[in-house]
Amino acid sequence: MIKTLEETISLIEDGKTLHIAADDSLLKKLPKGSWIGGTTPYLIGDEGGLLTKDRLFVNEIDFAEEVKIVTYGKYNVFQIVEECYDNGLTLIIMPFGSQVAAKYAKEAPEVEELIMHPTVGWISGYDLAQPGEARVYAGPEGKSYTDRAVVMYFRLPEGKSAMINLVNIFEDDKNDPVIRFHDSDLSVRSCTVDGKETLFSDYIDYLGIDSKMPLVADHNGSYINTSIKSVENGTVSFYAPVFKDIEYRFAKKVEDYEGEFRKKTEEEKERKPFFSCNCILNYNYGNLSGKKMDPFTGPVTFGEVAYQLINQTLVYCEILG
Amino acid sequence: MDEAVKEKIQMVLLGKIKYRSSNLAFNMLISKMQKKLKSDPSSMDSCMGEMDEFLGKYPIVAKVDLANIAALKE
Repeated sequence: MIKTLEETISLIEDGKTLHIAADDSLLKKLPKGSWIGGTTPYLIGDEGGLLTKDRLFVNEIDFAEEVKIVTYGKYNVFQIVEECYDNGLTLIIMPFGSQVAAKYAKEAPEVEELIMHPTVGWISGYDLAQPGEARVYAGPEGKSYTDRAVVMYFRLPEGKSAMINLVNIFEDDKNDPVIRFHDSDLSVRSCTVDGKETLFSDYIDYLGIDSKMPLVADHNGSYINTSIKSVENGTVSFYAPVFKDIEYRFAKKVEDYEGEFRKKTEEEKERKPFFSCNCILNYNYGNLSGKKMDPFTGPVTFGEVAYQLINQTLVYCEILG
Repeated sequence: MDEAVKEKIQMVLLGKIKYRSSNLAFNMLISKMQKKLKSDPSSMDSCMGEMDEFLGKYPIVAKVDLANIAALKE
């Protein structure tokens, strides 16, 4: 729900457990309490997408039997799989450009236990129109960080489970060549295309690929996107890493980005997410400003976490049972 | 998990029948186990162990998948 600063302070002072997304100028005015937050001035509220520096997005958490809030650095972020509740949910926020986010992005798929613990979250950001710094906030300490992840763990009542899912407008064409990378990294030079060694930037040039289209990896029908950040001097950089031994293809061209997004969210309108977040790339390419996305309200983010870091995707979490 | 469903899960992991879940984590796990089996065909027992652990841990979510898998045609 979109709230004013006064309304949010009142909820914190009432002892509510909250997940908050807002511009840094607002988050830094909040009192200590049972909340975590991340910076972004881009929000999706009940009335649609908006860029705001005087409103906050607030999720009130009322389903958990127990909650704990912890921050982690790059050396211990994967303690989340040990410190989470057995039947629970982990909500993580990491600052864009931080080492902890880079570490999480590169290593999460290799952390075997992660898939056994529902983990959802997002990468905090800033107003793209001006220089900014992404931060996360740990409410109990009343502190903010540019280099740590903040995590809220929820213990769920017996008989309830968390289910994380995606709304993704992209898919591949199985007739397209398979791209494989030699290493798991945030930037690459070479790859193989159908087994043939290729400079990846040359391949992009050769095909005339629209960089709005991400690479997609098919995980048994669930497509995980990796978006291109830049192509400079033969090096292709991504917003999330590509992984060795994963088959990629470029997503099929989406002619009507906004329309396709609307169609996909319409298909999922019966969902009852307690949390959702949507990528800044979808917000910009899909012209989501002012567009209603019911029932998917939440922060517009610089990366999404659905177990691992992904891009250009709407991620949501429901509590079932 | 009964034997018939176990057999069908094994066939899904071997790619002999296709099953797509509406649960992201389950799809990711299937995909991971399929890769593991491809690189080490003798790892079926450990793959099935992981599938069993996942399905046992989240019975509410697994209920739908188990029913759907049981109904799969070979």
